[in-house]
Amino acid sequence: MAARKGWVVGLLALPAVVFFLVFNYLPMAGLVVAFKEFDVNLGIFDSPWNGLENFTYFLESGDAARILFNTLFLNVLFLGATLAAGIILAIMLNEIRSTFFKRVSQSVVFFPYFVSPVVISIILQVLLAGASGGGGAVNDALSGFGFPAVDWYTEPGPWPWILTVVKIWQLGGYLSVIFLAAITGIPEEVYEAGMIDGASRAQMAWRITLPLLKPTAAVLLVLGVGRIFYGDFGTIYAIIGDNGTLFDNTDVIDTYVFRALRQLGDFGTTAAIGLFQSVVGFILVVIAVLIQRKYSKETSIL
Amino acid sequence: MSSRKLEPFTVVSVIGVSLAVLACAIPFWMIISGSFTSETKLATTGYSFLPDFDFTAYKMIFTGPAVLNAYMASLFITFVGTALSLAVTSGLSWVIARRVPGISRPLTIYSYLPMLFSGGLVPLYLLVTQYLHLQNSYFAVILPLLVMPFLVFVQVSAFRQLPESIFESAKIDGAGELRIFFTIALPLSKPILAVVGLFYAVHYWNDWFMALLFIDDVHKFPLPLVLQNLISNISFTAMLPQLAEAATPVYQLRLALTTVAIGPILLAYPFAQRYFVKGITLGATKG
Repeated sequence: MAARKGWVVGLLALPAVVFFLVFNYLPMAGLVVAFKEFDVNLGIFDSPWNGLENFTYFLESGDAARILFNTLFLNVLFLGATLAAGIILAIMLNEIRSTFFKRVSQSVVFFPYFVSPVVISIILQVLLAGASGGGGAVNDALSGFGFPAVDWYTEPGPWPWILTVVKIWQLGGYLSVIFLAAITGIPEEVYEAGMIDGASRAQMAWRITLPLLKPTAAVLLVLGVGRIFYGDFGTIYAIIGDNGTLFDNTDVIDTYVFRALRQLGDFGTTAAIGLFQSVVGFILVVIAVLIQRKYSKETSIL
Repeated sequence: MSSRKLEPFTVVSVIGVSLAVLACAIPFWMIISGSFTSETKLATTGYSFLPDFDFTAYKMIFTGPAVLNAYMASLFITFVGTALSLAVTSGLSWVIARRVPGISRPLTIYSYLPMLFSGGLVPLYLLVTQYLHLQNSYFAVILPLLVMPFLVFVQVSAFRQLPESIFESAKIDGAGELRIFFTIALPLSKPILAVVGLFYAVHYWNDWFMALLFIDDVHKFPLPLVLQNLISNISFTAMLPQLAEAATPVYQLRLALTTVAIGPILLAYPFAQRYFVKGITLGATKG
């Protein structure tokens, strides 16, 4: 009886099972391309093997160090900055007493999460470059304070920071919703105790709210660490595109792979980079989860 | 509570939140305002907060078929994609949520493993183009995005909150597993279906990566890709009808198209937002 029931219910999961098989597990098998000299006419399985050549080719190309560094550096920046922004925003929103103001501001700061990276890219253009090519709102503001205008789209230096601001703008409100939910879960008595001890609002935020947000932050951190070897392709490519002058500071694994694939059609090397990315990413997630498990068992995601 | 004296930290918070609100709202206002500002004015005086009600770009957008086609493409991807995603996600989540011996546990691992390890871009690209031959089909955009594991999380925990006793009594009345799912569980889960559906809809509406990879035919571009094309090269403007006055207002056109692209989200947002909050808090606290 139990077995029969299971079989019938199982039918409902069948489409999903097929989906994962075709779009997730089959591509894993397709990673053998990383060890092959891929020939479109022969297909994945009949192309000749070439050992580790694709890996050595990438590592010796001179791009590897720069791209790996950019990917790690940018992701660490994004992860730290967005989590911090989410926490700060949540704590500040929590201080607001007017329900109307609180609700409206929460809606507004959450909104950027819903727009396409392409839209973000256009907003950035409005801010950094005017219709005539130069100018832009930021330069207008800079000149108002007597600073010289910057030709942002030819200047790679500030881009890691510009992209970080974009990520904060995009995700700060989203993360603040998660943290605000966690704050709501903190029992009221804890704050009452704080009030009796004569703590100020700032002290309560610092000594009570912040420490109690740690488990939530830890879970998000673990999830983020798992993605640390994946560039945020959508956003970065929408903003930078094929603007080669900015690659030094902005090219990450995903954008590099995409260009190599579309422009050079180099399947072997790009698959090798992808495999490398997946393996390192997997190891990082496992390490992060193990650390987080040790640190707080009840919030562990595994 | 309201008699509490105003502390410095509260003041700082109000100011901080207000600044964040401005930082999030002003860029959108600039886009909308700019889309109503004539190209020449944009070039000479830059973007301004007050539009001067110049409709050139909108006229171009709405008199030709190009943008309309892109809109239809995005709508197709969004509607069909969301419907398929909801169906597949619900079925999977239900089986996981029911804790069927010998099925639910392995299925959970099977579904979450792809979150940790993936084949990457190249095998996916080869699969879609060489084996499934889906280039220039909207299903090339829909199928790779079909199931978001995070939303499976959300839906499993929502299903588990339904009272078990209803299912027990239905079973006593002779209802089979499938019947319980379709006539009891799904109708009871309308709110969570709305949450999950909205997440998928936004996902599909905004997607441009899959479209960028798999759609080459300019006439089939969904909206975000048209926008992207308008940024990177001007070729797309050739598809728009030329108005009497010479040059194409490229910049104004960009802003107008952006406004058109965020329009539906902006309109649906007041209704959708509370569902989203519910969705992410459910996912974050139960996940």
